Order: sequence, then C-alpha cells, then structure tokens
Amino acid sequence: MDLHFTSEQKAFQLEVQEWIAKNLERPFTEEVKDPKHDADSLVEVRRNWQRKLNDAGYLGQRWPVEWGGRGATEVDEAILLSELARADAPNIPNFLGIPLLGPALIIHGSEEQRRRFIPKMLSADEIWCQGFSEPGAGSDLASLRTKAEPDGDDFRITGQKVWTTFGPWADWIFVLARTDEEDRHGGISFFLVPIDQEGVDMRGLKQVTGEAEFGEVFFDGALAKREHLVGKLGEGWRIAMTLLGFERGSSTLLNPADYERQLRGLASGLRENGEIDRPDVAERLGWLAVQNEVMRGNGLRTLANIDAGMPPGPESSIEKIFWSEFHQTMTDEALDLLGPQGQLKATSSHARPDVDWAYQYLWSRAGTIYSGSSEIQRNIIAKRVLRMPTAK
Amino acid sequence: MRFELDDDQALLRSSTRELLEKEAALADTRAVMEEVPEGFDKNMYAQLGELGYMNVLLSEEDGGLGPIAFAVIMAEMGRVAFPGPFLEWVTAIRALSECPDTSAKEWLAKASQGDTLVSFALAEDVHNADPAESQVAFEGGRVRGTKVFVPFGEHAQALLVSTAQGLALVARPGTGWNSTPLETLDHAQRFVRIEFDDEGTLIAEGEKAASVLDNARRLGALGASAAMFGLMERSIENSVQYTTEREAFGKPIGSFQALQHRAADMLLKSESTRSAAFRAAWAEENGEEDADYLISVAKAWAGPAGRYVGGQSIQLHGGVGYTWEYDPHIYLKRIKTLEQFHGSNRWHIQNALRQSPIL
Ligand SMILES: Cc1cc2nc3c(=O)[nH]c(=O)nc-3n(C[C@H](O)[C@H](O)[C@H](O)COP(=O)(O)OP(=O)(O)OC[C@H]3O[C@@H](n4cnc5c(N)ncnc54)[C@H](O)[C@@H]3O)c2cc1C
Repeated sequence: MDLHFTSEQKAFQLEVQEWIAKNLERPFTEEVKDPKHDADSLVEVRRNWQRKLNDAGYLGQRWPVEWGGRGATEVDEAILLSELARADAPNIPNFLGIPLLGPALIIHGSEEQRRRFIPKMLSADEIWCQGFSEPGAGSDLASLRTKAEPDGDDFRITGQKVWTTFGPWADWIFVLARTDEEDRHGGISFFLVPIDQEGVDMRGLKQVTGEAEFGEVFFDGALAKREHLVGKLGEGWRIAMTLLGFERGSSTLLNPADYERQLRGLASGLRENGEIDRPDVAERLGWLAVQNEVMRGNGLRTLANIDAGMPPGPESSIEKIFWSEFHQTMTDEALDLLGPQGQLKATSSHARPDVDWAYQYLWSRAGTIYSGSSEIQRNIIAKRVLRMPTAK
Repeated sequence: MRFELDDDQALLRSSTRELLEKEAALADTRAVMEEVPEGFDKNMYAQLGELGYMNVLLSEEDGGLGPIAFAVIMAEMGRVAFPGPFLEWVTAIRALSECPDTSAKEWLAKASQGDTLVSFALAEDVHNADPAESQVAFEGGRVRGTKVFVPFGEHAQALLVSTAQGLALVARPGTGWNSTPLETLDHAQRFVRIEFDDEGTLIAEGEKAASVLDNARRLGALGASAAMFGLMERSIENSVQYTTEREAFGKPIGSFQALQHRAADMLLKSESTRSAAFRAAWAEENGEEDADYLISVAKAWAGPAGRYVGGQSIQLHGGVGYTWEYDPHIYLKRIKTLEQFHGSNRWHIQNALRQSPIL
C-alpha cells in the first residue's frame, strides 16, 4: 500500500494552491450573494474563471500535448479539482464539454473535429451541453427516439431532449440520435449540433431551485452536418458509454473537499450559535465528519487503484451512491442543526456567509438522479459486482 | 499510489485464509462457542503462537509484521468469526513490550507462545467501557477494586489492570480469579466481572501508563475495524449465495430487486469499511500524524455499518436466518461485541471530531 502523493504531486498541489490564492478574487458563494449579479452575469464569472484556468494550462491537462495536455495523471487531475473545490472556486461552464466530449473527440473524433472544436471548448468561447436524455428516455437511455435522417450528405434531426444542463447558455449540443429504428443500441449515432439555427428551439426549464439552469430542446429538422458525426454511423451508444466512464478517478477527492468546506461552514455556524459543545450537536456533527472521511478513503482507494493501473472494481458505483446520498444526509442535518437560518437563500439578509445552504439542500436532490440514479447504481452493483441472479 | 496489498501482505492473507479455513472453519467456531468453557481452542492458539502470529504487533526485530499485516490477519479472522481473545492477546503482548519492567518481559515471552493468555481488565462501568479514570487502586503491592467486562478473564493467566496509580500486572492467583460471568448476547464471548484484591506489579506509571493504554486502545480499535470488515465481507458472500440458491415464486430470491438493492447497500458499507480500515492501518504503519484520527474514523464507521450488514444478512435468509443452525447470527453478534469495545462508536466519533479538519 502507498497512499502518499509523490513529491511531484505534492509540489503540484502547492502550485495549484498558490495559483488559486493569486487568481481567485473571492469564493463563488460570495459572488452568488452579490446583488449586482443575475444568472447571466454569474455565467460570465464562470466563463472568465475558465479562461484563467485555461491560460494557466490547467484544462485538459491529461490530454495529448497538442490538445492542451501536459502529461498530467489522474492523480494530478484529482488534486486540481479538490483544490478548486476547497477554495469554492466557480465551476467552469464547460464542465460537461471538457471532461466528457473532449476525450470522446480525442478518441473517436476526426482530426478535423478536434481542430475545429477543442480550442474553443477550452477557451469557453463555445459552451457545450449534453443532449442525451429525452422525456421518454432517461435511465433507459437506449429507448431514445430523437432521430437523425439523411438529407443529401448531411442529417436532419427531429425530436426532443430534456434536462439539458446549461442548455440556455450553450452554443453547441452533443446529441445521441437514432439512425436505425430496428437496432436498439447499434442504431444510435453521435452528433455535434449548433444550437443557433432554425430547427432548434432551446427553452429554459425551471428547476426546483427556481432557476432555469437546465433546458429542454426541441429539434425540428435541425441540420447536423456529415462532418459533425462523431465516429461512424451507429457507434453513438459505444461512444456514449466510454465517455461516461472517462472520469472514473478525477472527482474522487473533489466531493470530500467540497463537503469538508461545507462542514467547516456548518461548524462555524454552530460555534457562533453557541451550540457546538452540546453533546448531541457535537455527536451529529462528528458523525457527518466521519462519513465524509470514509468517503475520502473510498476516493483515495479508487485513485490509487487507477494510478497503479488496476482495472475498475466495484468502486465507481459505490462512490456515486455514497457522495450523492451523503450530500443529502449532510444538508438534511445542516438545515436541521442551523434552524430556520439554514433555509435562507444566499442573497437574503441574515443568511450564513460561507455556504449557500438552501441551494445545497435542494441541489442535493439532483445528485441521486443524474449520471445514473442511485437505483441504477444499485442494479449495477447487484448484477455486475455481486452477480446476483436475473429473473427469468 | 497503491491501495492493494504488497506481495508479502497478500501472501500473508492467502496463507492465513488457508490456515483458518482448514483449522478454524465456522463449524469449529460453533463447537468452541457451544462446548468449550474457555471460549477458544487452546491448540489452535498454540499453533498461532508457533507460527508467530501472536507477535504481530511487536517491532520488526521482535517478529512484528506491522499494522497492515495486523489488519489483514484480523480481517481473515473476521471472515470465519474466529473465536477467542486473539485481539486482546496480541494487544496485551504489545503493551507488555512497551513496559521496561522485568516481569513484563517474562510474561511477554510466555504470552508469545500462544499458550499463556494475558488479557486486559479496563472497564469499571457496565454502561460505559470507554477509556476513563480508574477507581481501582494499586497500594502496597496489591490491586483492589472491581473491573467489569474483562474479556476471557476467567481463563487468563495474567491480566493487565488499569488503576489510578498506573498499569498493573496481576498474575492469576492460585485460587483463581474472584470472578462472576457476564453473559452477553454473543455466545462466543466469555466476559467476567472480577473483584480484585490480589498481589500485582506496577509495570507503567503516569504518562507511560497512559500511552501504553492509548496504544492498546488504538491498535485494538484498528483490529476491531478490520475484523468487522471481514465479518461483513463473509456475511455478504453467504447472503448472496443463499439468495441465489433459495427460490420463491418460481425464481431465485436473489433476482428480486428489493433484495438486490439491500445487498448493494451491504456491499457499500462493507467496502467502505475496507477502505477506511486499511487506510488507517497504512497511516499507523507509516507513523502518519492523523493515524489516531483515521483509526477512530474507521471504528466509528465500522460499528454501524457492521450492524446493518449483520442484521440484513439475517433478513435476507428469512426464517432460517433466525435459527441457531444458520450462521448469520454468529456474525451479527461478533459485530455487536466489537462495536462496544476498544472505544465505542460514540467515543470514536468524539475522538475523530476533535482531530477533524472541519474544526
Ligand atoms: C440536475 C439534472 C441535470 C441533468 N443534466 C442532464 C444533461 O445535461 N443531459 C442529459 O442528457 N440529461 C441530464 N439529466 C437527466 C438525467 O440523466 C435523467 O434524469 C436520469 O437519467 C433519470 O432519468 P429519468 O429522469 O427519465 O427518470 P426515470 O428513468 O423515469 O426514473 C424515475 C425513477 O425510477 C427509477 N428507476 C428507473 N429505472 C429503474 C430500474 N431499472 N430499477 C429501479 N429503479 C429504476 C429511477 O432511479 C428514478 O428513481 C439531468 C438530470 C438532472 C436532475
């Protein structure tokens, strides 16, 4: 066993910490609280932050050098993401494009596509969203019905995608569309589609937080050019499945760092309220701290296994369930322990200064649904890890 | 980075598994539990002594194998619910090795053979076995006072007794201990209350005594966490096997999604215990500053996790799960014992919080 970072990795961690200290004006929670901002200007804060990260060479650092990489490992990426979370840095707007579409283009895309799309994705000049889910196809993604029909050399897309995160600000969408009605998996293809065109209607979709951070998008004969088909016709499902597996290790230390920051905020709230020394309160706080540390242990194990070149084990589904359900547990407890103050919106007077608890509480309901719901993860564990029988 | 065991640790795991499967399968655990008054198989422990297992927690020169190897052994013992005072025994050997006293050295040599049990007498409150100031006195060469939940005390050749004056070593008096059995829900345990009025030797005082006891508590907690992982791992294997074979409504019950999701949750708890316990063992082995913190994290997590897995294992077995004949109860009971000793869940939560980065 060896759970130490190497001296290079430690040096990288220090470098990132120093870079953040120099470049991050203030935590994102403070931006959110600033009355001068609205949803659009907060996106600009995020865009500017992404540009800074890109200029410093931190984006796509694991990719081949010609596409912005610098020979970084998954451990480096995990260090970077956890330091950013610890500092409450803004999330970059291309948080789906860079980790998902980027590697898909590098592995499955054409040279032409890489040259056309990767630089602007990194510089946030083009923002990407992911068009997989449909009203009738979420967990059961392969039952998607949006179709792409040949039109000369190109394709016309018709159908609907939904819960499209960041759709309202996106310039491009990567879409899974059906090119063969008969073949459930082999009849799906992967397209890159510009949003600003006739035939695409992107609408904001208000979510439980009251904001429209995701959208629904209607395609009515929208143009997808032949050169924007990724891979071959019918390879879409395979590409989608590999890209969903790309980020196996990078986020392993991110959630524990993020939640640790939130728990520190909870502890300071309880200290200010004079309640932290109450045995019942301390025990509940301590139990949250314990669970977060256990989660970090799982993350270190996953990361170490990747670093040692081991094939993926049961960890990724376990981690997904753990972080998403623990986020709910933690915010449930925080809002209870902080009393009604915990329910104040960040922009409200008297709200806690360091954590946007009301938002975190509501946002925690999403994690168990997207990226493979908790139930789907449990199915995976039961079938693929425990090899439990299938009903005939 | 690397989480998996090094080659020699992996070898230790497979050889320990082989040994225990052969010499201490669950059938033997049952026999010991039901028929052997001492609660352990003396020949088996002598064999462990011969093979060097009893010295696992000593320094390398003295035959020690290190905390990771210790966790490996404890996890394997958990898998077969290995009965008896192994954890007390090896932590007592370690405690003796930290005391400069000559009688400590003599007892250490004997205990290492695996035929002379030295156990601990620490708790004084039946409602709280956590580390606390002792009311037991060491005066004029005698230990006086009452200890409860002395593990396997009745058959111990010597006991390490915490007193207000320090750590005392008391050899079994010729007339035997003045003890009363404390029977718990775990039929494999042999706890007793002992009223001491016996000759003893003070083998550590003041800060030294505190540090010896703290090390024993910390290593005991690490061992208990690893053992709980092994208990959980095997409980899950047994449950999955049972639900695959058992049919109801014309299908294997393991095909019902309700049971599949239960099993998935059990695996989440168990694998998270593995991560936490081995991370803590690694930290202890490398003298990391946060070793004590990480051990408390592991122990605080392992208890509730184990309780869940052990309980659900009975549930997944249905009616047979409630019978003496089937094994799930053996696992649940052992977990219930381990979660109360070497620091309770509550004690470890507090100890972890004190050292937590969130404060
Ligand atoms: C905040 C947020 C952001 C999102 N962003 C995007 C995005 O950017 N792009 C995109 O394409 N999609 C996105 N999604 C959609 C997301 O991927 C789907 O919501 C998800 O796949 C679940 O599908 P569904 O909503 O159709 O629910 P359903 O599949 O209808 O599931 C409903 C319930 O049934 C359960 N269930 C379904 N199947 C099974 C089964 N086999 N066994 C047991 N239980 C089952 C589910 O777990 C869930 O609890 C986002 C969703 C959210 C909440």
